[in-house]
Amino acid sequence: MNAGSVRGAVAVAASLCALAGISACDVQSDSSTAKSGASASAATAKDLKVGWSTIYLTPSWMQQTLKMMEGDVSKLKSAGKVSAFKTFNANGDTSQQIAQIRAMIQQKYDVIIVDAGSSTALNPALEQAVAAGITVVAFDSLPTSTKVIRVGTDQKAWGSMMATWLADKLKGKGSVIAMNGPAGVAVSEDRWAGAAAVFKKYPDIKIVSNVHSEYNLAPAAQAFASAYSAHPDIDGVFSQGGALSAAALQTLVKQDKKLVPVTGENYNGFLKMWRSHQKDGFSSLATAQPNYLAVIALEAAVAKREGVSVPQDITVPLPEITDKNLADYVKPDQPDDSYPINDLPQSEIDKLIGK
Amino acid sequence: MRDRITSAVRGNTDLVGLLVLLLVVLVAYQHYDSSLLDPASVTILSAQFLPLILAAAGQTTVMLLGGIDLSLGAVLGLAMAVFATYDAHGAAGVVTAAVAALCAAVAAGAANGTLVAYAGLPPIVVTLAVSFLWSGVTLIVLPQPGGHVPGGLVNAYNNGWNGLAVPALVVALVLAAWKVLRTTRYGLALYAVGGNEHGAYASGLHTRGTKIAGYALAGAFTGLAGIGLAVQTGSADPTIGTPYTLNSIAACVLGGISFFGGVGRMRGTVLGALAIGLLTNLLLFTGISPFYQLIVQGVILVVALALKTYLTREAAV
Repeated sequence: MNAGSVRGAVAVAASLCALAGISACDVQSDSSTAKSGASASAATAKDLKVGWSTIYLTPSWMQQTLKMMEGDVSKLKSAGKVSAFKTFNANGDTSQQIAQIRAMIQQKYDVIIVDAGSSTALNPALEQAVAAGITVVAFDSLPTSTKVIRVGTDQKAWGSMMATWLADKLKGKGSVIAMNGPAGVAVSEDRWAGAAAVFKKYPDIKIVSNVHSEYNLAPAAQAFASAYSAHPDIDGVFSQGGALSAAALQTLVKQDKKLVPVTGENYNGFLKMWRSHQKDGFSSLATAQPNYLAVIALEAAVAKREGVSVPQDITVPLPEITDKNLADYVKPDQPDDSYPINDLPQSEIDKLIGK
Repeated sequence: MRDRITSAVRGNTDLVGLLVLLLVVLVAYQHYDSSLLDPASVTILSAQFLPLILAAAGQTTVMLLGGIDLSLGAVLGLAMAVFATYDAHGAAGVVTAAVAALCAAVAAGAANGTLVAYAGLPPIVVTLAVSFLWSGVTLIVLPQPGGHVPGGLVNAYNNGWNGLAVPALVVALVLAAWKVLRTTRYGLALYAVGGNEHGAYASGLHTRGTKIAGYALAGAFTGLAGIGLAVQTGSADPTIGTPYTLNSIAACVLGGISFFGGVGRMRGTVLGALAIGLLTNLLLFTGISPFYQLIVQGVILVVALALKTYLTREAAV
């Protein structure tokens, strides 16, 4: 056997293996087409095929959200309302998310839940899904399309809530470092817009540095450290995300500096640090992007299939974590990288989705 | 006849492997989506793949010159932002917006090329550095997702215009233009400079000019990809381009473009981009857990590359 025929044999073997792999997948494809055929005929919320497309799945917030959703899905499954639930991870690639939505349209899903990677880029695909008779509900990071049901929090209110508290705390006077999320990301820009509108009313509050960082501890700590070394005499920190707040507070603690007020989020690492430095006079106000947004989205989709007139825009109130109720939220036994939040009672969910 | 087929296969061993992979993916795809070959599906799929194919064409041009473009995603985002923020209304507006976006992308490409050719810096360093620059400029043009593309254009692109798959047509036109360009003096110079820069210089080629023009051409391809993405999504997003940098390199490598320049063909890149696009879609259909999808995708890429290298080693020896 010469080298050429060995190569040929390898090529043929590889093709055969690939074909065998495909036929192995066959069984699954048959069952899924059968399922979609059955659900197409059902008009009410029965045996719904639900897909969730998310821009990221690895961050701990998303993992917690997935767990909460799976919990609700198993409830809906035993009630016979949902028969299948699949998660699609776009891994940060918005074009990939568009492909996922189109795949779900082709596979005749009944409900598409989406956590959007771009506030505008998914609109044509999502509207195509709506036109195909699919119930589309977005939560957390929302698209701008008005044809889908959107479950979210008011990001501008988030920013103004934090800024108002900080301005009161500083009695309307002082220099502040602003810790914002990545530039060009809608959530980050919206939160900052809400805050900037408040700060404008206090001419004596000076934003000495406006820092942009990933919502991650390590890059945020570096970004804060360089801003802080340029402005060591600040009176407060406006932060629009938990990891950013933790980075700022951690730097102040490490350098043994005055613990000025830092606004926060329900990132457990921040809550724990807040708790342990309360006795040193550290004070904060935190809010949360609650994971139960996903549950509300799922319940809204099912309700919509049942004929409930679900409102197009569902704004979920922002929780308030204060110096007083901090103990109810912080989870000292859980890792820093988690977002403690309590389930929303079913009665509250029903009220929000118009039941 | 038999001889002709054998010689055609001999000359394209690298592409034959890729074609087999593509065929396998297509057969599998057909199982999950029996409407694959309907005109409507061709339109939808070509609309989805056009940005990657054109971005990979841009990357190919740079790689043929022996470089690599890490700023591709940023330039793509810039073109997209310029196109959508122009707020075009009517055909004339769209043409103006497209010209403006292309000019921005070509200028960015030419700037990259000039830095590589005259500053004598390695392309990987230059393009990494300017990728920050171009994403900054993009954020100035468009601070957050938005902009506007006429609804009629979005619809024609995504759902076909009088039954024509517009994106597929655009890709065909670009390929035809490339085929013509390859036969010109410039096309030969591009391969010559990428394959052996000193030799090309010694034979009297203006190697620096060739490089700058090549990077500018890559900018044009990338700009078209950005315009395509804007039309596909009906808007622009300043951060959406980033994944295209690495995906375009993957498509080129799979398509047989050498990292060392001067070797590879555009048709290989297009097939590579198609294979990657179809493969990701296929994995969505199979319903494997999302994390396993990434593993499967990686394994298939590695196996495909290893097989291709093994099968074509003969040609290199």
